Amino acid sequence: MKKTQTKAFASLVSSIVLLIFEVWAYIETTGFRVHKRAHVQPATFPQIMIIGMFIFTVILFVQSFLKVTRGMKEGDYENELAPSINPFKNKGVAAALFVIVLCILYTMLFNKLGYVLVSACISVITMWLIGKRDLKIIIPVSIIVPLVMWFIFYKMLTVNIPMGVLQPIRDLVDKI
Amino acid sequence: MDWGLLFDSYINVFSSFQVIFMTFLGALGGILLGAVPGMTATMGVALLIPFAFGMDLIPSIGLLLGIYCGGMYGGSISAILIHAPGTPSAAATLLDGYPMCQKGQAGKALSIAMFSSFCGGVLGALIMTFLSPLVAQMAMKFTSAEMLMLAFFGLSVIVSISGKSISKGLISAFFGLLLATVGQDPTYGAKRFVFGFRPLLSGFSFIPTLIGLFAIAEVIAGVERIITGEEKQQKSEEKITNVLPDFKTIKQIWLNIISGGLIGTFIGAIPGAGGDIAVFVSYGFNKSSSKHPELWGTGIPNGVAATESANNGCSGGAMIPLLSLGVPGDAVTAVLLGAFIMKGIQPGPMMYVNELPTVYRVFAALMLANLAMLAVGCAGVRFFAKIVSVEKKMLYPIILVVSLLGAFSINKNIFDVGVCVLFGVIGYLMNKFEFPLSPILLALILGPMCEQNFVRFVDVNNGNFWEILNRPIAVGFFVVSVATILYSIYNQRKINRREAENKRKAASM
Repeated sequence: MKKTQTKAFASLVSSIVLLIFEVWAYIETTGFRVHKRAHVQPATFPQIMIIGMFIFTVILFVQSFLKVTRGMKEGDYENELAPSINPFKNKGVAAALFVIVLCILYTMLFNKLGYVLVSACISVITMWLIGKRDLKIIIPVSIIVPLVMWFIFYKMLTVNIPMGVLQPIRDLVDKI
Repeated sequence: MDWGLLFDSYINVFSSFQVIFMTFLGALGGILLGAVPGMTATMGVALLIPFAFGMDLIPSIGLLLGIYCGGMYGGSISAILIHAPGTPSAAATLLDGYPMCQKGQAGKALSIAMFSSFCGGVLGALIMTFLSPLVAQMAMKFTSAEMLMLAFFGLSVIVSISGKSISKGLISAFFGLLLATVGQDPTYGAKRFVFGFRPLLSGFSFIPTLIGLFAIAEVIAGVERIITGEEKQQKSEEKITNVLPDFKTIKQIWLNIISGGLIGTFIGAIPGAGGDIAVFVSYGFNKSSSKHPELWGTGIPNGVAATESANNGCSGGAMIPLLSLGVPGDAVTAVLLGAFIMKGIQPGPMMYVNELPTVYRVFAALMLANLAMLAVGCAGVRFFAKIVSVEKKMLYPIILVVSLLGAFSINKNIFDVGVCVLFGVIGYLMNKFEFPLSPILLALILGPMCEQNFVRFVDVNNGNFWEILNRPIAVGFFVVSVATILYSIYNQRKINRREAENKRKAASM
């Protein structure tokens, strides 16, 4: 196994990403409003947290760097194969990425199409994606679960959930 | 202690149909969720918080406590039947539970687990009833200095829940504390990390963040595991006939139940230490004090009793710091803290002054939750085994749509669904690169408490933070926190060394 495939290398890369994030976050805090009479400024607490995060990120960076450059003992968990995040090489990651995209689309369409319809769609697609191919089960489950959930929230907990294009169902329930 | 009020609270809770119904419903849901490997009581409580939103406080707390107690027992079902603990708290139950199942005593093992869980839970609830007012009385003398150091003490357990890398655990914790600062600052109302985005002014809502980090991240990871073939479907065809253990068995295990319950309550009361630690401590203690330690691990009822009473004892123990100090004892009570805050009640010493009837009703609700767990467990013990056969390909999409609805329902705001998805992705990536998620949860809860008391203390003392050294209780908390951190680092290094040695031995064989 190449050193670049180990968990130690993954930790090294993640520590660099974190360091960039911390520098950006610290610069961002310098723009917070300053109160002349205050002993503790609005930026103080976030800055302390960023410094704390920075210290441990540097420790992680040094630990990982030493492990990658000097080598690791057998049995060291950092010497194991790092998880892949490349969707082109790993079908599992591609599927996970697809579910994330579905979730983003779900958020965008939630108000327009309504909870029941978008939930049924995401449910059918996800079940199909992960290998459940029996449409006689997939479709009823995907429709009934969101419908029941909507009914419980709407009627029992009086939480108004958007129904979008299925608004007539709510009107029907209200009439009954 | 106001005995009259306590008695009235018990009558009030035990005579309310809504509370009884919700608690039984919670116990049923908790057992079913707990029995599914990978579904924890934390996830169950987080999922059902939106349901609790529209209810009165006590029925909603009854529902959540029902899930908590039910989930603790439910984890043992799959541990005993298929050698896969449903929850981390049931990890030690399989040591003797599964061998009992292999000997054809699955029913007996399940009934012992249920009975021991009930006894441990009742013991924990009783200790909580008598001990937490004393702790709260002491906490009444706390000022911002003590509260700041108490929050620090709560955060100090992060090291023990950091997993293999302490650095990663602490990075997660500081990241969580940083996330807690998003929005308007509590003293001057200055905007922090808002980027002109109005919904961010009030910061990230706790529940959508929690659902995202735990439930959505688990669904995304579960989909990946199914595609790569790492997720295996479990099946059980065991037939269960015994519902409760017989008198002879109870006589054999009662000492293990009591010691397990006490150990569980004590460990549960330490913020950050939960059932997963308590079960192993209880198992180790009971084994070493047994006349026949060589029989432990071969399938004896004592092993099941010692572990199951410990994990349910934790439920009462974890409520002690939650109610008396406002510091959650474990991940589930952290979510419960969110539920209290959602209802406009801030747990802590002042709760014993302003909300004493509520505190007593919570005591009664925990007792009811244990009774509900026993009743539901007895009624369904024969059928629970079937839950382990639920197909994950169906389960994950259902969890996804229920979780996203849960995130929306808190503020009826699509922004929260987006926050939930965002934290789902963050949680998935953090899990992948072994950054633990529990420290973020603890930090999100304790962060605001930490900042507010820090600002208050420094302002009161005209900018002199070192004045804190003149507060003995605060210094005491600080010393205990540092000791906890150092011991946790030592312990984690020992665990890592042992694991590495075991792997080397396994590789050389």
